[in-house]
Amino acid sequence: MARRRRKNLGTNIAALLVAAFVALPLYWMVAASFKSPVDITSAAAVPPHLTTSNYGNAFTNYSFGTYVRNSVIVAVCTTGLVLSLGTFAGYALARLPMRGKTAIMTALLMISLFPTIAVVAPLYLLLRDIGWLNSYQGLILSYTALMLPFAIWILRNFFLGIPKAMEESARVDGAGPIRTVVRVILPQALPGVFTAGVFTFVAAWTEFIVALTLDNEDRYRTIPVGIALFGGQFTIPYGTIFAASAVAMLPIAILVLVFRKAVVSGLTAGAVKG
Amino acid sequence: MTVVDTRGPRETRAADGASRRPRRGAMRRSAARLGWGFASPALLLVFAVMIFPIGFSIAMSFSNVNVTGSGFQLNGFTGNNYSILFHSARYIHDLEFTAIYTVVTVTVEMILGTLIALVLERLTHARAWLMALLLLPWALITVVSAQLWSYIYNGVYGVFDAIMNAVGVHNLNVLGTPTQAAVAMGVADVWKTTPFVAIMVLAGLVMLPGEVVEAARIDGANGWQTFWKVRLPLLRPALAVAVMFRILQAFGLFDLPYVLTGGGPGTSTESLALLGYKVLFNDVLFGPGAAIAASTAFIVLVVCLLFLKVFRTQVGEQED
Repeated sequence: MARRRRKNLGTNIAALLVAAFVALPLYWMVAASFKSPVDITSAAAVPPHLTTSNYGNAFTNYSFGTYVRNSVIVAVCTTGLVLSLGTFAGYALARLPMRGKTAIMTALLMISLFPTIAVVAPLYLLLRDIGWLNSYQGLILSYTALMLPFAIWILRNFFLGIPKAMEESARVDGAGPIRTVVRVILPQALPGVFTAGVFTFVAAWTEFIVALTLDNEDRYRTIPVGIALFGGQFTIPYGTIFAASAVAMLPIAILVLVFRKAVVSGLTAGAVKG
Repeated sequence: MTVVDTRGPRETRAADGASRRPRRGAMRRSAARLGWGFASPALLLVFAVMIFPIGFSIAMSFSNVNVTGSGFQLNGFTGNNYSILFHSARYIHDLEFTAIYTVVTVTVEMILGTLIALVLERLTHARAWLMALLLLPWALITVVSAQLWSYIYNGVYGVFDAIMNAVGVHNLNVLGTPTQAAVAMGVADVWKTTPFVAIMVLAGLVMLPGEVVEAARIDGANGWQTFWKVRLPLLRPALAVAVMFRILQAFGLFDLPYVLTGGGPGTSTESLALLGYKVLFNDVLFGPGAAIAASTAFIVLVVCLLFLKVFRTQVGEQED
């Protein structure tokens, strides 16, 4: 009994250490966002003069509001497109008798893990040719293609787990294939769709190198590009940066915490079915 | 978008016809056609925006690329871009840096991540909360985390220096010293990505067959022995997937050095992707830039194929 209690104590201490390791830097960021320009250089754990001026500053003196709008437009459109295209592709690759499915899945996995630098230069030249640099459609199209492979993987794995009898009874009832997918399969695969959706949204919200290359004009910058290029030549306005960062983190934090189970199952999608 | 619109009704009609026909071979064929109909919008887009550019990038890396204000031309075949790279001390250094950085950070992350997963597994009440907390660094914008760590490491007023001063280490200039800057960057990386590893490993741990571990315990193995001799070998497929994901991500390292160190001091923390970006978009040298990008992709591809091969055989062993 005593030994078991000591074991639990050890586990709890280790868990506390892990929590501190993860939380302290995040706390430091949020604390800095409430520090006045004078206090930003102090190592005080609690802001000595609590202020929200950094938050106002990010929106009024910098174009953070524009960046938020751009990020929302790009991430929402990308997620919608990826889910609508990916659902049908994932279903086909899970269920329909196509040749070369294994090869396609392997290729998709490799593409989803490819370093983005390999596609950035040709994408830049091609989109420049058709005048789509500094536009929403250029970035949305690129993100959709970039994030589809992983989404198809997640969706396919979920479709594989749905009993085949469902489709057969739908077919007997005379439903067409698109109707079958939308009305019968999709509701069953909803957790998978959520997972793929959360992953796509997070990826689009946080992506940097493609956005930096394709949309670097201030009007079209997304949040990561805006935050990376914040400030002038000589000073880094950390208070403003972290106020903006905290705002940028909020929707993602809520999304991830609400769909915690979906995220965990997505992270392990690769491990479940190789 | 338009692809879906034009394809939708046609496919519906084709398959409606199929569902009324009772013949199996014909049904199978039309089901396959339906499959391609469903999959092709996504696959075509991935092909056009990912695979075609990768091929184009390779073609570019073997050409004299002439980029002007309005367009670009590829002139003739040449191996020049690659010979420039392999004779460039900077490219060799960045290749070494990226490889060493990848091996070291992934090793540390795997060990720490496995330890954290073991803690999570034994945790009873607060497990859901701790997992939620672990997801935050994973979902954090890398650029934000880079700004955060640059603030922490700031040589004038950073909290890291304040802590080191308190324990008696003075005059540190972490981001201004090559080795220290590389280590500092690694710490930032470990902070952000270890939670990802921990959650993947935990999923593997949870799926292990409980009877095997129980049997080992009944045979008199202690906790340490069960872990090394029974659980770790069973965990290998899950670990292999996590390692592959991490190696590929780490090898494409860009956001963190771009913001945290700019590749400096000098070029000491410059990754291959960062070098590629600078050559492409700052120096506007698309031939050599494409060669850097293509060589990075090639290395990743080889590692990926090797891992898939090893991983496949491991899964095979398990199924026997």
